[in-house]
Amino acid sequence: MANDKSSMQLISRGILSENPIFKLALSMCPAVGISTTVMNGFMLGVAVLFVQVFSSITISLFKNLIHPRIRIPTYTLTIATWVTVIDLVLAAYMPEAYAKMGIFVKLIVAFAIITMRLEMFACKESVKDSFWDGLGMGLGFMVGMMAIGFVRELLGSGAILGYDVLGFKPLLFFILPSAGFFVVGLMMAFFNWIEIYYKRSRGLK
Amino acid sequence: MKDMITIVVRLTVSCVLAATVMGLCFIFTSNAKKHNEHIKEQQVMYELLGYKDGAEIPGSLALHEVYRYVISSSEKQSIGYVVPQGHGEETGFIFVNIDLNGVLIETKPIALSESEVLEAETRNKAVLAAVGPGYEVSFADQTIVVTDNGKRIAYLLGGKFQGFKTFVSVMLAVDPAFTLIGMEILEHEEDPGLGAEIEQDYFKNQFKGKPFEALKTINVVKAPIPADYLKALNGKVSEGDILKFREQYKDHDIYALTGATISSRAVSNGVKGIVTKFSYRVNVLDKVLKEQQLAVSF
Repeated sequence: MANDKSSMQLISRGILSENPIFKLALSMCPAVGISTTVMNGFMLGVAVLFVQVFSSITISLFKNLIHPRIRIPTYTLTIATWVTVIDLVLAAYMPEAYAKMGIFVKLIVAFAIITMRLEMFACKESVKDSFWDGLGMGLGFMVGMMAIGFVRELLGSGAILGYDVLGFKPLLFFILPSAGFFVVGLMMAFFNWIEIYYKRSRGLK
Repeated sequence: MKDMITIVVRLTVSCVLAATVMGLCFIFTSNAKKHNEHIKEQQVMYELLGYKDGAEIPGSLALHEVYRYVISSSEKQSIGYVVPQGHGEETGFIFVNIDLNGVLIETKPIALSESEVLEAETRNKAVLAAVGPGYEVSFADQTIVVTDNGKRIAYLLGGKFQGFKTFVSVMLAVDPAFTLIGMEILEHEEDPGLGAEIEQDYFKNQFKGKPFEALKTINVVKAPIPADYLKALNGKVSEGDILKFREQYKDHDIYALTGATISSRAVSNGVKGIVTKFSYRVNVLDKVLKEQQLAVSF
């Protein structure tokens, strides 16, 4: 199965039509647990972006050497290696960033979205296309996390990016993990509604 | 069968490859990481002492590390301290073993250099060698005595206590009369937006300036922080006003965080425990050091 999409199409697919959070509904645990603020969402998004791109490239490079029966363990191993490498490098050379991102980086090993992209895309396609696909998916995840974080931070703590904008805390409940499900569900419905509306208005089915 | 062998071989090869990459990465980064941690620890210490944002640290200021060990055998328990002997190039450490009633059991010199003593493993071995066979030693905590021109000005106490979820690790700075002069939350896993607010200034600063008498009975109250006091805690008023508020509220209990009373109580009880226990221990240690005429650096 050859890929017939251009690099731009691959990126926009990751962000819009196949957004990991709102369309594919993958990696919900971190989306719900971490996205309490815009900044947290951004940090996790950046970390996922790097791991996704590096893992996609690695698997794409070695795709002919991986035995089909053990591909899932190999993917996990690859992801774990990259997560460890990024964790160590950040801790050593960027202590400031590591202090904020440290806990997020370690979580990534268990992310379904990365394994899924390796299985669906990187193990079949060329290195170049895998890079763009990984970049698109990573960006899509980051955008999704920041969107959820925006809603939860605004409603939960009345702030955006740590700056107090409302001056009061409307609904403390939105900080709690359980509220994340409500936010994700409602936003998913919202984006689907926009998409349907858009298609109908253009006379598409 | 052939399939199984290929799978085993390939999986092994991938594991070995992954391990090599991770191992190499660890070797290249471990030194830089340790260095960073050490610098960060130092920075926290100096910030607690009031030297913020790269303020110049006077040369007369010296930090002396004291390590506390619990020594136990089948019959009895005692407390062992590793204290620095004098200061400068040619120094070693003394091991002081004190029983639970505050009576000296023995003292022994420990030949370790200042950098060696920082390594937990080397230090543990040296202490084990000093107490002799038949005893178990376990590291309890580390206290730093801060002196300025040979006069004690503060103690830095590390400590851990149970928070709402897991342990909260803190570093406290107290002056020689055990008045709290600073607190830093080093590690915690409280809920973001709720218990995690313990690391915010408006919570931490409530502890600042509490005298020992107040700390001994400190508790939390479930009430909103008065608006003017909150401003002072966030550092939004002048230096003089902050001190005034600190004086006014110095015997007042800690205002609990909204929605996180358990975390707030955990911190105030933890601080209470660390300071009261330390005040007892340091008095015992001082008494013994004085009686035995031991030359220590602080």
